[in-house]
Amino acid sequence: MAVKMDPIHQFELKPLVSFGHIGHQHIAFTQSALYMFLAVGLIALLTIWATKSRAVVPGRAQSLAEIFYEFIGQTVHQSAGHGSERFVPLVFSLFMFVLLLNLFGMIPYAFAVTSHIIVTFMLALVVILTVVIYGFMAHGTHFLGLFVPPGVPGWLKPLIVVIEVVSFISRPISLSVRLFANMLAGHIALKIFAGFVPALLAAGVWGILSPLPLALSVAVTALEMLVAVLQAYVFATLTSIYLSDALHPGH
Amino acid sequence: MNGNDPRGKDGTGEGSSPDDDLSARLKRLEMQIDRKRPPAASDPSSRPDRGQPSSLGIAMRLSTEFVAGVLAGGLLGWGCDHLLGTKPWGLIVLLVMGFAAGIYNVMRVSGFFPAADTKKGPPGS
Repeated sequence: MAVKMDPIHQFELKPLVSFGHIGHQHIAFTQSALYMFLAVGLIALLTIWATKSRAVVPGRAQSLAEIFYEFIGQTVHQSAGHGSERFVPLVFSLFMFVLLLNLFGMIPYAFAVTSHIIVTFMLALVVILTVVIYGFMAHGTHFLGLFVPPGVPGWLKPLIVVIEVVSFISRPISLSVRLFANMLAGHIALKIFAGFVPALLAAGVWGILSPLPLALSVAVTALEMLVAVLQAYVFATLTSIYLSDALHPGH
Repeated sequence: MNGNDPRGKDGTGEGSSPDDDLSARLKRLEMQIDRKRPPAASDPSSRPDRGQPSSLGIAMRLSTEFVAGVLAGGLLGWGCDHLLGTKPWGLIVLLVMGFAAGIYNVMRVSGFFPAADTKKGPPGS
């Protein structure tokens, strides 16, 4: 007998509250939105409630919040350098949001919001729009010097500028695709490896092999935990590298 | 060029003085902490796990950079054709440009331009 195996099913959006239609588009409050609200709520709890006492010697919850914030502050400072303090809240929010959504996705039966490219692309768009808007506000047209690397011979300049522009536009794409692809691939792999266990058990004598995929899926779970944290960190690091272009164009 | 440009991010009058003040205070604090700290532990980038990302991480990072370049070029070209009616030249030219940008991204990430991009190349993905 064949056990039903559908690794894509977990990414389906399920509307919880429907608001009707706009055109042909169904507008609804989905479980994806619910998870996002949960993540924001948990972050708010961590940052507002935990630091409410403002103790000089922090308690457990407060020191947890401080560790996260200082970690991101350090990352931003290292990558974006001087004057980047004003972006720490932005990067911190993005990091915590992505981190919590990734980790929520690791809970069995939970939904991985970051495995939908529209979510990660919107996050990347926030980053890149911040870079562009802040770059123009702080440096005016000088910001466009970002697209003209120094030390390029004159006849090559038009070509290089076009390539630089395309390269710049590819940034939000690579930022979002990386996070989305990692989460999607990880969850599908996990589902497939775990699906081998009942499939082997159902196949009679092959059942003696079933501990192998079980051990493998445990290992993949551990790997996915690592990926969930690492991808949030990579998102934050790349964000601060892109922000450093807005702060110091033409370095 | 300096990061402490007086125009704030949102321009609501939350101007430079608190920002500059914060920068200066952070710098002073940093110097004070550095003086007290043993020198070996002061540079987090010298930790062994930072310097060498896993090869899978590098592969993932480089491939997304390249694919993103080609995708961006293709999208730009398609949009160009759609808006300006230059079919199919926009797609052809910009796809090639996207290819070049993808290679350029990969070269930049893998540290091909050491002098210009010391800050690029985060620890893998």
